[in-house]
Amino acid sequence: MAKLKISGVSKAYGATVALSRGDLELQAGEVHVLIGSNGSGKSTLCKIVAGSVRPDKGEVLLDGKPVTMSGPRASKALGIGIFYQELSLAARRTVEENICLPDLPMKGPFVDRKTLSERAARYIALFDGVTGEGFSPDATVDILRADQRQLVEIMKTLASEASILIFDEPTSALDRAQVDRFFQILTRLKQEGRAIVFISHRMDEIFSIGDQVTVLRDGATIGTSRIADTNAQEIVRMMVGEEPAIAAQAQTSSAASGPVALRLANLSGAGFSDIGFEVRQGEILGLGGLHGQGQSSVLRALFGAGAVTSGDVSLEGASYRPHDPRAAIRAGLAYVSGDRGRDGVIQGRPILENVTPIHFLRNRLRLASPASLKRKATPAVEALKTKFASFAHPIGSLSGGNQQKIVIARWLIDRPKVLLLDDPTKGIDLSAKADLFALVRTLAAEGMAIVLYSSEDAELLSNSDRILVFNGGRITRELTGAERTRFNLYEAAYEAA
Amino acid sequence: MTRLVDTLKTPIIVALALIFLLLIVGEMLSPGFASPTQIMRLLIVAALLGIVAAGQNLVILGGREGIDLSVGGVVSLSAIIAGNLMNGQDAGIPLAILGCVATGALIGLINGVGVTLMRIPPLVMTLGMLGVLQGLLVVIRQGIPSGRAAPGLSQFVTQPFLLGLPGIIWLWVLIGLFLAFLLSRTVYGHRIYAIGSNEQAARMAGVPVAAIRISLFALSGVFAAIAGICLIGYSGSSFANVGEQYMLPSIIAVVFGGTSLAGGKGGYTGTMAGAMMLTVLQGILTTVNIDESGRQMIFGATLLLLMLFYGRGKAMRA
Repeated sequence: MAKLKISGVSKAYGATVALSRGDLELQAGEVHVLIGSNGSGKSTLCKIVAGSVRPDKGEVLLDGKPVTMSGPRASKALGIGIFYQELSLAARRTVEENICLPDLPMKGPFVDRKTLSERAARYIALFDGVTGEGFSPDATVDILRADQRQLVEIMKTLASEASILIFDEPTSALDRAQVDRFFQILTRLKQEGRAIVFISHRMDEIFSIGDQVTVLRDGATIGTSRIADTNAQEIVRMMVGEEPAIAAQAQTSSAASGPVALRLANLSGAGFSDIGFEVRQGEILGLGGLHGQGQSSVLRALFGAGAVTSGDVSLEGASYRPHDPRAAIRAGLAYVSGDRGRDGVIQGRPILENVTPIHFLRNRLRLASPASLKRKATPAVEALKTKFASFAHPIGSLSGGNQQKIVIARWLIDRPKVLLLDDPTKGIDLSAKADLFALVRTLAAEGMAIVLYSSEDAELLSNSDRILVFNGGRITRELTGAERTRFNLYEAAYEAA
Repeated sequence: MTRLVDTLKTPIIVALALIFLLLIVGEMLSPGFASPTQIMRLLIVAALLGIVAAGQNLVILGGREGIDLSVGGVVSLSAIIAGNLMNGQDAGIPLAILGCVATGALIGLINGVGVTLMRIPPLVMTLGMLGVLQGLLVVIRQGIPSGRAAPGLSQFVTQPFLLGLPGIIWLWVLIGLFLAFLLSRTVYGHRIYAIGSNEQAARMAGVPVAAIRISLFALSGVFAAIAGICLIGYSGSSFANVGEQYMLPSIIAVVFGGTSLAGGKGGYTGTMAGAMMLTVLQGILTTVNIDESGRQMIFGATLLLLMLFYGRGKAMRA
């Protein structure tokens, strides 16, 4: 009998279906790997098991008995422990306090310090020798490095002593020795009869620790295989599914042959290293790979909003040193962030004021005459088919998609040389996405150089002339022409960096 | 047109209605309170507060918890400098204006640099500056005489100049028109709102965030200095800490006028109405013999009440 059996669970957030049909059968004494691309529903499935998300439909059987997870506390009581991808540590508390935080030992109304230290020490000892410099039971978490924090999060999960343990990307920041030690611990837990769910994007890890693998795609479970009976290619094929005909995707490839607009050589900075590429005028260069592999960091750094430590950049042949968005704009760069609430929208101000700031800077204007600004802004806004009643209305009165269009329109009054798109369609509706990419292609056809990062692989594949796959902050593969398939993209994204 | 309607919306209407109501109450408590000469006097006092509040308004609009607690110190210092440079002579007026404006700008500049480049919170930076200025005032006062206003200046502040109104009221009107233009029709104005509303987005759109914030503090110093000159014209000679009374009311006037303490929202027209309302309120409190300490308590409570009503939409630290 399965330790945990999930069948047909679904979850929708408004109109967005995060999980349409999730199935999972977890046995005691196994490591069960969950794999799937961005947005395939892995994390939602885990959250349902952990009780932090309530499913709309479906059945969860624990030891053969139906259970309803009515919250994180309830699943904890049922013996389910979860490691969260977004770390859930208390920054100003010590390592040992964090490890014991979900279940503090008490003596009357006070925390029992002695028991707490003893209990935490057991889990810290598991990683003896690989915790690195500066790691001690009484160090506060905020002074630790990213890998050390991840270890604390793992120790905290282990300290739950749950019979079902879920690890959502627990190894992303760990070094080789730490991963090896963690895998030794997992193997021992497995032998003790615990059931372990393991999410990772690294094929080598999946094959070294997993017993079973379940693949998710577009919110549904595709299938489960024994690791011993499968290989990396087969798993990627399950993740990709039916590959649309290449001809349909390759339509954009006009083999741009204009002069080089932007050239990077050996560019390194926070989150990326040794990046080199060229973008020609009229070309759409796609940056692909798993989320957070340095694509965004490179684009922000180019725009002067992130740190560059070494390397060279040239813009239309002239040397350019990124250090400040103002200078970047003057040099002819444009940057559109997917996080429009943080980087784009000037909330509470009229639509017109949200379109004009770049025009002010590029033309060194002093006066803002509404009539002439409206004349300038109208074609920019119409190019994106933006729907709005009046330039004087506050930008907050628009839908998310139209707000993003307004933010993009500010770059269209005075055309930049290079347009950097950093996941520009995050959280906007389908028709707005279509309008946006129609514009991007027009701009490219008119000779603008475009660098596009998108967390949606379909979007990336159908709009890029060429794709650079990022993995661990480096470019690991270039896909051109007919190579631009989902299979190749996934294979490059999931291989060990 | 919509913008005109927007600017006339609630806070200003509320302030104007309250002014009217307070005048009626004042007239009932003490006949003659709302007489033309009395209203003129109230307007002059309101103009002094309004000019200080202009700078306060700009700093608050710029966001990131912008506030200038040093305005009172600048008013006092400016009044002393003006008094000494004029020393009762009309010929000294231009030099007095120049000296005071430069001093105010310098103090504001230091505030601005501390807040932006050294990342000291505005509340702490300007409170520290206020402490420094208060100490400086004590030192200066022991050494040199406080000086006297030039007759021309007193006339400008207290005697009718045009259409029966004294020059200071026309100056205030001019400042009002200037700021309305600055905030709605210049790139600088749009940028003030942008950094107040979303500093990160403003930076990504090429707005020189630090330079603008520094300039706002400098302007606040300049406006406080101008108010200081006018103040000595009003009272004839400067006395200890004349400016102290302006710190709290200048903030209340801004908040009452509908400017959000979180920044990025509001304007000066409302602040002008707020300054008038507070002045009339102060007049009534004086009429019913509530002393300075009582007035302070009432003003402080007013600010807290305002925060309760207007501050509910958006948390101040948001």
